[in-house]
Amino acid sequence: MSKRIEISLTVNGEPHQLSVEPRRLLLEVLRDDLGLTGAKRGCEEGVCGCCTVLLDGRNIKACLMLAAQASGRSVTTVEALAGENGRLHPVQEAFVKHGALQCGYCTPGFVMTTVALVEAKRPLDEAQAREALTGNICRCTGYAHIVEAVLDAVNNPSGGSEK
Amino acid sequence: MRAFELLEPRSVAEASAMLLEHGEGARALAGGTSLVLLLRNRLAQFSHVVHIGRLAELRGVLLADDGSLRIGALTTHAEVAAHPAIRSRFPVLAEMAAQVANPQVRNVATLGGNLCLADPASDPPTCLAALGARVRVRRGGEAREIELERFFRGYYETALEPGEVLTEVIVPPLAAAQKAFYTRFITTPAEGRPLVSVAACVAADGAQRWQDVRLVLGAAVGAPLRMARAEEMLKGRRPDAGLLAEAAARAAQDLDAIGDVRASAAYRREVARVLVRRVLERALEPAR
Amino acid sequence: MHADDAPLIGTSLAPINARDKVSGGALYAADLKLPRMLHAKVLRSTYAHARIRHIDASRALKAPGVKAVLTGADTPKPWGIMRKDEHVLAVDKVRFVGEEVAVVVASDEHAALDALELIRVDYEELPAVFDMREALAPGAPEIHAGTGNLAREIAFERGDVERGFAEAKAVHEAVYETPYQYHAAMEPMASVAAVDASGRLTLWAPVHSVHRTLLRLAEVLDLPTSQIRVVQTMVGGSFGGKLGEDANLYIAARAALACRAPVRLVNTRIEDFLGARPCMPSRIELKMAADAEGRLTAKQAEIYGDNGAYSGLTPEVILVTALRLDNLYRMKNIRTRARLVYTNKIPSGGFRGFGGAQIAFAHESHMDALAEKLGMDPVEFRLKNVVTAGERTVHDWKISSCEVAQCLTTADRLIRRREKRAARKANGPLRRGIGIGTSLHVSGARQLADWDGSTVLLKFNPDGRAVVVCGEGDIGQGGTTMLAQIAAATLGLPLEHVSVSVADSESTPYTWGAVASRLTLIAGNAVMAAARSARRKLLALAAQMLEVKEDDLTIKDGVIHVVGVPDLSVSVAKVCMAHQLRPGGEAVFARATYDAPTVVADHKTYLGNVSAACSFAVQAIEVEVDIETGTVRIVDIVAVDDVGKALNPQSVEGQIHGAIAQGAGYALHEQLVLENGRLLNGNLADYVVPNALSFPAPRTVIVDGYEPNGPYGAKGASEAPISATAGAIANAVYDAIGVRITSLPITPEKVLEALRARGGA
Repeated sequence: MSKRIEISLTVNGEPHQLSVEPRRLLLEVLRDDLGLTGAKRGCEEGVCGCCTVLLDGRNIKACLMLAAQASGRSVTTVEALAGENGRLHPVQEAFVKHGALQCGYCTPGFVMTTVALVEAKRPLDEAQAREALTGNICRCTGYAHIVEAVLDAVNNPSGGSEK
Repeated sequence: MRAFELLEPRSVAEASAMLLEHGEGARALAGGTSLVLLLRNRLAQFSHVVHIGRLAELRGVLLADDGSLRIGALTTHAEVAAHPAIRSRFPVLAEMAAQVANPQVRNVATLGGNLCLADPASDPPTCLAALGARVRVRRGGEAREIELERFFRGYYETALEPGEVLTEVIVPPLAAAQKAFYTRFITTPAEGRPLVSVAACVAADGAQRWQDVRLVLGAAVGAPLRMARAEEMLKGRRPDAGLLAEAAARAAQDLDAIGDVRASAAYRREVARVLVRRVLERALEPAR
Repeated sequence: MHADDAPLIGTSLAPINARDKVSGGALYAADLKLPRMLHAKVLRSTYAHARIRHIDASRALKAPGVKAVLTGADTPKPWGIMRKDEHVLAVDKVRFVGEEVAVVVASDEHAALDALELIRVDYEELPAVFDMREALAPGAPEIHAGTGNLAREIAFERGDVERGFAEAKAVHEAVYETPYQYHAAMEPMASVAAVDASGRLTLWAPVHSVHRTLLRLAEVLDLPTSQIRVVQTMVGGSFGGKLGEDANLYIAARAALACRAPVRLVNTRIEDFLGARPCMPSRIELKMAADAEGRLTAKQAEIYGDNGAYSGLTPEVILVTALRLDNLYRMKNIRTRARLVYTNKIPSGGFRGFGGAQIAFAHESHMDALAEKLGMDPVEFRLKNVVTAGERTVHDWKISSCEVAQCLTTADRLIRRREKRAARKANGPLRRGIGIGTSLHVSGARQLADWDGSTVLLKFNPDGRAVVVCGEGDIGQGGTTMLAQIAAATLGLPLEHVSVSVADSESTPYTWGAVASRLTLIAGNAVMAAARSARRKLLALAAQMLEVKEDDLTIKDGVIHVVGVPDLSVSVAKVCMAHQLRPGGEAVFARATYDAPTVVADHKTYLGNVSAACSFAVQAIEVEVDIETGTVRIVDIVAVDDVGKALNPQSVEGQIHGAIAQGAGYALHEQLVLENGRLLNGNLADYVVPNALSFPAPRTVIVDGYEPNGPYGAKGASEAPISATAGAIANAVYDAIGVRITSLPITPEKVLEALRARGGA
């Protein structure tokens, strides 16, 4: 074990002061120290995207970053998306509506990538949407329903909440 | 991941001093997408990791008056891909950067980090080498510039000396007559890294003779490789399909390609031939 | 009740746990954290075959945070699902690179990993064998004493094979090879085990079957079953990788017992590659014949299955490979020998399709080759031979419903094969082709024991909400959503009024869980029966309360109405309360068991109807081959499936899409690459699985079918389509470039080699 370092992370709007071993990953700190288990450990290789969170608004892989690298920065996880009374974020609504999930393990990662796409405020065609999803792997759905959900969420940002 | 001490320098000079002090046991950390992976797989071990990712002096993209481009080492691939000046003046660079790995990695991985890792199965080295780029490195108060062609020494090996920090990438101006192309080959759309990559930078004169040709092959070899003999065949000529095919065959002929779990050396050589020809054919096409 | 009468049936529904899954609230095993929880990490063999002389864990035991180190001495009992040929931790010998040798239990994962590096294992290397046929040759190193490296041999002959070949107009022979395919569930295997003060063990893990896991744990740990409780967590994908072959959960349980503390063991990705028991590699030497009318007359198959170092479920997998396709096509004369061979490699195991994908690839490639020799259209040829409803197959399977002919013609029409072939032109180096692949799968299999049943309790809460209490669980495919849907439809409740219990071995009745695509037909029937019974109870009670006859009542949206008298009604909630809150009252509940009308196949002849229904899948796939680089791009996919009545079309479509993705990966690029038994591509960068760019959205059609044995006419949907894909792609490649690749995956390199061998592109 090496000596711990002090880091400060803003996670889902809340500031946290943490004392961590330098070797610990952002993903580990989110999951183990802050109890935010929505981001998952998947491939540990930067391929699958199950660990996707937003860092200062950009989608990144929390398994490829030391927690210390994120110090002083702002992290958003899937847990922050739903609004009051559990009202789902439009991206989450779109995933439910299109049946864009099966086992659900990759889902938080896909949702966070899609949130980044929605916040970029640029309409996407199917090819662009598929390209934008290349950092996320789903082994269950074959992607078709996910692509539908992403196109719906990105191109109809106010829709998806007709309920 | 084995334990290490994380150092947070406040300047390049300090980072350089830290790297020098700990020598082989130290490694600079920029975006971390590759280094963190090596560490966590326990494939590499360092007693000290020098986190240069916060150094403002390593940031920024500048288009100089002479048309040359200076890209700070910490510029991410996503930033290269999106930068207006790069998109308009060096579109080949922006298009290349938009293909590196995947979106989340591009948002974090830096151009400088990519070059220092010298992973052959990557896009920027080949493309930048064909553009005649060089890197600026600093150690303490000293700085030097190294042509990319000489920067890459082989598989994961660079010309960086102990204590040196890569600070920026300098791309010389593209002349009006110069056209640059980059293409990567993957065996399936889901493959994240190129198996073979080819970049070409061609300047034709008024008579459609190719006066300047730089042809670089990557990914299939340990370090980006100038295809000098093929270049020679093309220089001063007005190429046609036959000549391009010949040049491509020549390029592939003496290629000492990597053979590994992804593909055999023979296959990489064959794809190199096809890819070189296709890139050169694009250079023949009228501008889009 | 007929499907058309039931609300919700045939309606697309999101998974009932979708909101949890999109919110990050769904809990998987690696998300669980218990007080005092320890973390385990596994030391694995670096040798393919070696004797363990000595293990020195003394330094590891002294490392910071380390609580225990376990070795084979702590797991002395031989075990195995089919053959008792393995140990949870290696005893005396290791037989593949990656075998579990020792376990460190420590306060956190990093400390456990640090300590692993301090364990010294003294190995004496032994000669190893990696090739199946070499392993069977005399003098080969014997991996398990007394076996001759043969783990199972299946041989049967039906009809008169020689006569069948003699009568044929066309005979085709070829050898097919299929690789290890890794499940690559996004969730690597993970378990949490805890022990209470009395020594009673609870295991939380993403297993297919809590009850089967319970039995196996009891066997492995030498504990009475009453001392063990198994709870299914969310399953982050399995595809067979979490069938219970991986040592992970047994290790976690053993470690928890040893430490008397909760222990979590999460596989890293490389460990999941080594532990998940990938798809059985095969070599299939196939000879088939057809007469001038295009009828199949004879088949001869010599099958080798690569068991790897240990058996797991593979002895059952190879039985499927040996039999499966003979039930798709009408055949009388068959001679098959299938041998399962030990090698010093990663043990293979159960994988979606369970042995079907291997034989379907070979068989469907063969069908096209035979059709060509006969000068027949490949679709016409298949139509002449496919089974139809009401038939008994050569293995005595009873085909109760079958729309495969309709699937074939629909797929062929939608892909526009004939028009496209007629209009086809080469585009530079690009060549297009279209291929068809067909497959089938069971809906349950009475194979491992003489019961393929499901018992379900349906209980009502005082608020009129129903809970389906059953142990079938959900492996991420939507099983519990399907059960809730059947319960709600049968009861006349809104879907939100029905929940399904977590599969917990303690509180749910014994059953097999999600294997052999059995949930829809078998558990679905049990739920339907329980719901009918509960409905009768509710109506009887309401009839008393409303003072009308039961026959005049119906339930809609949770309210019991008198038909034709709009004002006269009572809510289900009120009935439930009234039934309970009175002297001698009781909560409303019902119970039902469904056991499929099937038999265990004869152990010698393999004859017998093991499944109550078969589902059928046809895919027509168009590819574009680059003849200069050999790459194969999927341009269009039409998938047509017979799943009986599709209860939840969106969910069925999702199963088909996902199966095609795995099938396409199998066809084109997925394979574990081993060198002297050492895995070279044990990560998802080098072992590439399809991503969003790999193929366009499949055009799926679910034909209008009805399975008489199924609930509301439904049968399984999740496994048939995976087996159709590789054959379709291989046939499409042949159609495009005129060369047939007989070994999967069809890599660009193989395509170029084949083109070169044929002589010029």
